[in-house]
This record gives sequence, C-alpha cells and structure tokens, in this order.
Amino acid sequence: MKDNLNLVGTRTTCASRMLETYQSPYTATCVQRLLDAGCLPLGKANMDEFAFGSSTENSAFHRTCNPWDTERVPGGSSGGSAAAVAAGMATVSLGSDTGGSIRQPAAFCGVVGMKPTYGVVSRYGVTAFGSSLDQVGPFARTVRDLALTMNGLTAGGHDPNDGTSHDADVDHLAHLEDGVSGGRVGIVPALMEAEGLTPEVKHSVEEAASRLERAGAEIVEVHLDHLDAAIAAYYVVGPAEAFSNLARFDGVRYGYQEPGCTSLAEQTARSRAHGFGTEAKRRQLLGAYLLSSGVYDRYYYAAQKARTMIARDYEEAFKQVDVILLPPSPRTAFKFGELSDPTQMYLSDMYTISLNIVGNPGISVPTGLGVDTGLPVGIQLQGPAFGDADLLRYARAVERAFAGESGEPALSVAPDFAGKGGELA
Amino acid sequence: MKELAQVLEDWEAVIGLEIHTELTELETKMFCGCKLSHDDEPNAHVCPVCLGLPGALPVPNRRAIESIVKAGLATNCQIQRHSMFYRKHYFYPDMSKNFQTTQGPIAFCMHGHLDLEVTGRGAAERPAHAFGEAEARSLASASANAVGLSTQMSAGLPEGAPVSGTHHLGMAAYDTDALTLPERHEDGSYTAPIRILRIHMEEDAAKMTHVGGEEGRITSAAESLIDYNRCGTPLIELVTEPDLRTPEEARLFMEKLRRIFLTLGISDCSMEHGSMRCDGNVSLRRRGETRLGTKTELKNLNSFKSLHDGLAYEICRQAEVLEEGGIIYQETRHWEPSRKRTVVMRVKETADDYRLFPDPDLTPFDLSEEFIARCADELPELPDARRARFEAELGIKRADAEQIAGDPTLAAFFEGAAAGSTGKLAQTVANLVVNELTGYLRSAGLDLAASGITPEQVASLAKLLAADAISSNQAHEVFAAMAETGEDPERIVDERGMRQVSDTDALQAFVDQVLAAFPDQAQQYRDGNQKVIGFLVGQCMKVSKGTGNPRLFNELLRQALS
Repeated sequence: MKDNLNLVGTRTTCASRMLETYQSPYTATCVQRLLDAGCLPLGKANMDEFAFGSSTENSAFHRTCNPWDTERVPGGSSGGSAAAVAAGMATVSLGSDTGGSIRQPAAFCGVVGMKPTYGVVSRYGVTAFGSSLDQVGPFARTVRDLALTMNGLTAGGHDPNDGTSHDADVDHLAHLEDGVSGGRVGIVPALMEAEGLTPEVKHSVEEAASRLERAGAEIVEVHLDHLDAAIAAYYVVGPAEAFSNLARFDGVRYGYQEPGCTSLAEQTARSRAHGFGTEAKRRQLLGAYLLSSGVYDRYYYAAQKARTMIARDYEEAFKQVDVILLPPSPRTAFKFGELSDPTQMYLSDMYTISLNIVGNPGISVPTGLGVDTGLPVGIQLQGPAFGDADLLRYARAVERAFAGESGEPALSVAPDFAGKGGELA
Repeated sequence: MKELAQVLEDWEAVIGLEIHTELTELETKMFCGCKLSHDDEPNAHVCPVCLGLPGALPVPNRRAIESIVKAGLATNCQIQRHSMFYRKHYFYPDMSKNFQTTQGPIAFCMHGHLDLEVTGRGAAERPAHAFGEAEARSLASASANAVGLSTQMSAGLPEGAPVSGTHHLGMAAYDTDALTLPERHEDGSYTAPIRILRIHMEEDAAKMTHVGGEEGRITSAAESLIDYNRCGTPLIELVTEPDLRTPEEARLFMEKLRRIFLTLGISDCSMEHGSMRCDGNVSLRRRGETRLGTKTELKNLNSFKSLHDGLAYEICRQAEVLEEGGIIYQETRHWEPSRKRTVVMRVKETADDYRLFPDPDLTPFDLSEEFIARCADELPELPDARRARFEAELGIKRADAEQIAGDPTLAAFFEGAAAGSTGKLAQTVANLVVNELTGYLRSAGLDLAASGITPEQVASLAKLLAADAISSNQAHEVFAAMAETGEDPERIVDERGMRQVSDTDALQAFVDQVLAAFPDQAQQYRDGNQKVIGFLVGQCMKVSKGTGNPRLFNELLRQALS
C-alpha cells in the first residue's frame, strides 16, 4: 500500500515529516475492499512526499531503489509500490496516479500498473493531492492479477463516501482472454516523434503495434491536437488543488506541531516550514500563486478550457479506435540525482499526464528489456472513460504477444531478487 | 453627536445586510453524517470529514439543498438550475480544512426580493423628502456598485463565463428600472421593496473559546479551545442589495426574514444562540448624491434591538466624522450594546484573498425542474399570506394577525383555538393569544409545547369573554389558573364563582341601590362631570361583589342618569 492510503492501526505518513507519526482512525474504501476480498496487508510503501515527484526521491524518510538496478530510481510517485511488486515482495500493490504516478514507475520497474477511469475506484481515505486528478490503481506482475485486483477494488460499486465515485462494479476478468481480433488500435504520430523519446522505448511501442496487428487488430493513426497544453494545464490544476488540499496540515489537530511558538500564526508558519519538504513547498507556493486574485482568471480558467479541449480530442479519437498505444515514459529508469532540474523531471510525465487531465483509464505493460540500457521497457495503452475492462483485454493481448514460450510474462521478478520466494506459482 | 432623525435629514444611509442562518432543523451536518447539536459535550459529534482528516471527502446533504431552495422560493429568488460549491481559503483553526466550502459567483438562489411594510414611528425614520426621483437615481446607482458586498466572490468565475466586471456578480441580468420604488402613503407608512442579491449554501465553522487574556480574543489568550461540533453545520447566507435606508428598515427586514424561515421550518432562527446572525454594511452620502460613500461593516448585531441601535449609532458616528471633514475608513466595527457604541475590530487595508476555486470533490449541481417543483409544493403558507387570510377571513386586526402569522407554532395554536369562529370571537381568541398566552409563556420561561396549554382551553376562555361572562381582568386570572392546573376555564370560573352577571335586570337592582346611596355624585354627573361615572361603576362592582359586568354597569348608569 502506498503510504498515502489510510489503514487503521498503521501510520499514514505520505512520506512527509508533517505526518511522521500520524495514525489514521479510519480505513480507506479501496483498502477496505481489498481486505474484504481476502487480501493481506503486508506494509506501507515509500513514495514521493504527498505524491509530488516522479522518482520517489522526494520521500522525507527513505530511498527506494529500482530492483532492476539499485543505482537507479524506481520512478514515482508510487515508487515503493512498483518496486515491491518488481522485487517479488508483494503479489499486488496499490498506488495512486495523479499525473502518471502508477504508469511511469510500473514501466521503470517492469510490472503492470493501471490508472482506472476517474471515479471507478473510491478516493475516500486516500490523502488528496489533486482531487480532480487523483486515482488509485493496482500494480501486479500479470494482467490477470491486475484484473482480479480491479474486481476487488470495484466490488460494491459506488462508494457513498465519495461523491465523485461511480458504480463500476463489472467483472474485469470476463473478457480478458477474448483477444483483439477486429479491434482498432490508435497510434499518435506526433507522440512517436516527440523530443526526448529514446529509441529503445520507441522501438518497444512499434514492436507492440506490429504484434497487435499480427493478433488481428488494425493500427490506425489518430491525432490529439491539444496535447501540448496538457502539461501546462496539469501544472496549473495540480498545484492549485494541492495547495488547497494540503492547507489542512497546520499542526493544530494532528501532524507536526512546532513547539514553543507564541502565536497561532507563528505556529502555523513554523510547523509548515519544518513539516514540508522542498517539492511540497514548491507546489503549494505555485498553487497559492495560481489561485490568487488577478492570476486565477488567467491561468486556472485557461487550464479548465484546455481540459475541455483535450477531452474533446480524446472523444474524437475513441470514435475511431478502441485504445491508443503510446510510450509510458520517454525513457527507462534514470539514476538517483540525474534529473535535478524540476522542470526536466516534470517532462518525464509527458506521456501520462494528459490522461489525468481527462480522467480516462491507462495501463503500463512491460514488453521486455531495452536494447540500449538493458532496463525494463514497456508500452502504455489508453482507453475511453469507463472502458477499463476492455483496456485490460488489450493489455492482456500485449502481454501474450510478448510472452515466453510457456506463456510466462516478458519480465519476472528482478534478477537480484529472484529465487527468494516472490515468483508467481 | 446628532440624533438619527437629524442626520437622516441631510444624509442618506445606504445599508446592506449579510444574514447567516444555521439550518438547525436538519438532522445531520452539511457534508457528513454527524448529528447536529447545540449543547452536547464538545467534540462529541465529529468524524474524519468535519475534522478535515487526510483523505476524507464531503458528501452534500440533500435535505440542506431542499431547505435553501425553499428559502429562495419564499423570498422570490430565481433558483439556479446549475451551481456549484467553491473552496474559500483562510488559515484559522475554526475551519478544520483551512478552507470553507461555500458557493461561488452563482448561488443556489439569486435575485430575490421582499417587500417591507414600514408603519408607525419606524416609518418616520425615512424623512418625507427621501421619496421620489432622487431616491430612484440613488437606488439604481447603489445596485450598480453593489457596495462591494461580494468582493470575496470576485476571485471565482463560472466555468465558461466571460471575464467581466459585473457579469459574474450576476448583476447585469437584473433590470433596475423595473424596480418599484417606495411610495409614501398619507399616514406616513410606506412599502419598500428590498432586493436580495443571493442566498448561498455553506458550512459553519467550529466554535472557539479563548481562555485567559482580555475580551476573549485569541491574541492575548493563554490557550484556545476548539469545539468542532458546530463545524460543518449547514449554513445559508443571504446577502441583500444595499437597498435599505434606515435602521428600522434593516430591523424589519430581519424580522420578516426570520418569520419566513421559522414558517419554512428550516431553522430555529435563534439570534440569542447564534443560529441566526446578521452583519450590517453601512455608508453615508449627502442626499441627492449618487456616488457611494465608504462603508463600514458592523458585527455583533445579535438582536433586533442591536441591529437597529448599532446601525443608528454608526450612521450618527459617520455623519459626525464626515461633517467635521474627516474620512470614513473601510473597516470592521464591533457593536457594544452595553456602552452603546461601535469600536474598530480590524481595518481592511487590502481585500482578503480567499483564493476561491470550484471544489473538485463536489460535482456541480444540476437541479431538475421536478426537484424545484417538489420544493415549491412543500412550501407552507407564508406569513404574509397567512396574515392576509387571518385579516380577511377571520377579521383579525392587522397587528395581531401579523404577530400570530409570523410564528408558525403560535399560528397553528391560534388556528386550533379560533376554529369555526369569526368576528368578535376570533378577535377575542387573537387577543388572548397575543396578550395572555405570549405574556404567560414569556414570564414562565416556557415554550408553547412545554406549557401544556391547549387550543381548546383558550377557545373556551374566549367564549366566556366574548359572552361577557367574565371581565378582561378576570380572564387574566383564569388564564393563569388554567395554565397552572390544566383545567377547563369554565370550571375555574364556576369554582371561583367568577361568572359575571350580564343579566341587565339583575344588574339594574345594584345600579338603583348605588344611585340611591350616592345622590351627590349622581347630580354631579347630570351637571356635566362625566368622570364621576367611574366612581359609580366602582360602587356597583363593590355592591355586586365583583360579579357584575362593568361595561353593562356603565351603560345602565348612563341610561339612568340621562
């Protein structure tokens, strides 16, 4: 469990000093549903502080290594959840995806990771980062395990405690093996030519396209004209909502409280100054600025307009195709400290962010090891809203297309962790 | 300082009100299932949602939306089919999330109005020359400027709306020319239409108690205690246009609104306990001037008297400052009823930046026509309509009809007691309800239900009175006995031998006896001293041992002496 998911009896720190000792008195709906389905909670997984980051380097407490190369990051912000599955420590894990925080670490760690449609999994009990962007989803080593977990997460349908949740109680396994014959898979040419996309990742997407074609699907070019605006819109909406959601951490009711202050204002300021790390401060300051009067009209309104336009692009695209095939990240896992400029880090989410902007589902599926880096590479599939089960069917087709001779997935437990009992039966 | 009447000769006071009403009649809070309570142990009714714990999410209370829609319908507002909740940010521990969930530029209810009937001495607060054309001009300009009542809303924009100065305040849609202006009647009374800008839905804050230090303020307190029971209580805020011109109008508006909300059954509207609270914005300008002066905001107007007196003081204070060539600062002032003055709470140098934006956890509302129609169907008879019916159908005097109709419990009781009666009997019931019943409840400190007094008892007492079987003074005694013992008035009257003799033949004997005993006084009356009749009636009452009807004695004496 990513450590922003509340579970009674455990600390829920969000990898922040602010919540270092915080124990939630209640359990998140998504966690409760998996407990009800018979899952055993193994532990809390490291993350970027309050999910701000793409490498898990922003954790206030621990360093999480990529099981495939411990000199490298596992991706983020759900780096701990991805690494735990890649190392065979857990069969499935839960993360949260606000801008790619499941799909990107899944790709870096060579596991399957899914961001369901916004509203499919209840957000009740999930410490909020960007309320209109956040979505909880699972990591697994096979698409089938992922679909099973989705069944658990959606069992019971609409959560009365989350007004934005939908009734998505469908059997994600029912058509998993139906194949993709006669289906249509979209490729966005502009995304395949984007600056920064490494050849090995590009190659894996092209290879996936041709294997899906061999499996009976038709490859169709589609266009998402306003995708350029996605990162800009995301870095308005995300920080604005984060500023608002993190305002509650003031040290009054719970969390870190600076001792010895003589006024409320001083206590609030000093508790927050000590409790939050650099990236958390950066995002909140940006959000506070973007929401301030005079500024709000220019940015927030424009960002909402961009969201509408991008959503319309996707709608049009999904009239032509069942899913869109694209890279999950421009490159494979990078080294610790390699991306020190935050804007460079932000660009590593270029392929994932647009989906959070519109709310549609997406999934990362590993296809093997990169020819240049030898690190896990994979593809991303994006689907129409509430087409989660169908998306899993395509993901299964990709998995099968890259499977070994006896049908085993392209990647197993990372080599350094192999033979320690984490392999699937 | 000058008197209010003197000030208002030369100055026009421009007043707007912001009225917060807790929806105390609901069972649960606005966004969670916690029970609403006033007097329970502190922090007994809290949960992850109203405590703002990480991961908690709001779920709107449907009944609260029904309540505000009814409030809007009852105040002639346009119910907005599409509206949403916004987050209003400020760091203070009374709001557990450090933002308040409230509404943005579009509230559930927009652009309503109430007509105020201002009569008697209160009507004289508006000088005779403050009617007519100059007033028309100033009313229109006041609305165009909106006195900055909604500056806190300027950060929010409806999705898809063009960025413009007035549109997002919803002002452009309102046609000021169509307004009916107050017209003065011959007796000095007038009807003033007061426009309502909006009624929006929000959540109340927690209650803080500052221990130690002066005046219960946080700045000097040794410690501050927070009770989150109240945090998340559904609250509706009504904002008027700055159409009020006198403290009396402000008081009447508040009274009228309170009667409507009580009748709707959405709140106990207790100003004493803070479930209905009012802030006043007031500025002055010379009569005939169309630009607005700088306003001050008044707090702690927690009774009708405070609302009136606080505004009256502030108007006089501003006039004094302005007449001495001084400047009014835009500031928040606190009314001190004991010292009868307002003092500065804080100066607003810059507008607060609340960083309003649409709450992403609450999907926008699209109220269906069916939902609104159902709310309209469920509206009870409103005080004005009920008052008019009492007047027209039962023949009750206007003032009594108004008082009874404005209190739903009293009105229901009255309707029970007056069932089947009209004219004199109905008015007698009204008199008993207005004078005896409310007087008794006030002095006994009881509410109607707890008193055990039944409409049947009052009906029975009214019949005795209307038939002249007892006098008004006796009725007062019977009422007290009836309230205490729960017995029927008939029985009390009989047991105490109070039944008044209204048989003129029987009374004539006492009259003859008295006139024989006091020939001098009888002669004085014949000589033109009318006052002496009182003495003679008193003697008749004495010899009849109080059983005679004094009004009949009076008539019989006059007949005998004419």
